Amino acid sequence: MSQTQTHDIANSTAAFGMAAAITIVFNTVFAWVKDSYEPLNAAMKAAMGHHWITHGVVDVALFIALGLILSNSAKAKSMTGTALVKLLVIAVVIASGGLAGWFFLV
Amino acid sequence: MSNIILMAHPTFGVLAILCSVWVLAETLNISAGNVSRVRLACLLVSIFIGLTWILGGYWYVTYYAVEKAIILKGPWPFAHDFFMETKEHLFFIPLILAFFLPIAAKSDLVSSKGARNVVMATAALIILCGLAIEGAGATINLGVKVALIDTSHKQAE
Repeated sequence: MSQTQTHDIANSTAAFGMAAAITIVFNTVFAWVKDSYEPLNAAMKAAMGHHWITHGVVDVALFIALGLILSNSAKAKSMTGTALVKLLVIAVVIASGGLAGWFFLV
Repeated sequence: MSNIILMAHPTFGVLAILCSVWVLAETLNISAGNVSRVRLACLLVSIFIGLTWILGGYWYVTYYAVEKAIILKGPWPFAHDFFMETKEHLFFIPLILAFFLPIAAKSDLVSSKGARNVVMATAALIILCGLAIEGAGATINLGVKVALIDTSHKQAE
């Protein structure tokens, strides 16, 4: 007999969890683009003195902004803990593998 | 001062890993009596990773260029090309997870298994990423060491 999964986490946990997963994947894509497009790297260096500082600040700002935006979304009000765990694990595996693979090959 | 910052950076990283293990252990044995300790441990993970970011970041942008040049001239250029390049971007993953952890711990951990699983999975991911980053840091240091040893061998010959 199948059981219906119910919303068993706080809305803020679901919203900021989804924001974390998105930001983690964005971080890897941002690193790829920055590494292959020098004008972006130069602009990030010009913005805050070093590309890595800008990269970190953009990541944290994106995480906070997405978390606040998603807090009122329907998904945040229905997501289960199990689904969020899967999302976070998949995001971390793809993002970390993407970074290691990129810097191994490039 | 450079060496003190360089030592403090991985020290706070290890403290964050240890606090993540603490989060795992407390959450596995959750009750009304220890839920406040779980939240404290989650907050400490966040603070320690934040300090690791600030200290490591300051050292990286201020002092690393010299070490990078040494590594690239030595026999282990991959210590920078692969390990440092990956580490400096991989670090943002546990950073974001650490900032998320205290938010996840605000859920009803005592009665919700799903909420506990989110906290434990996040702590476990921080531990795994943290250990990988600590290993990468050790390899980068070794890249400097083998480069300097190589230089002194060449000078002695």
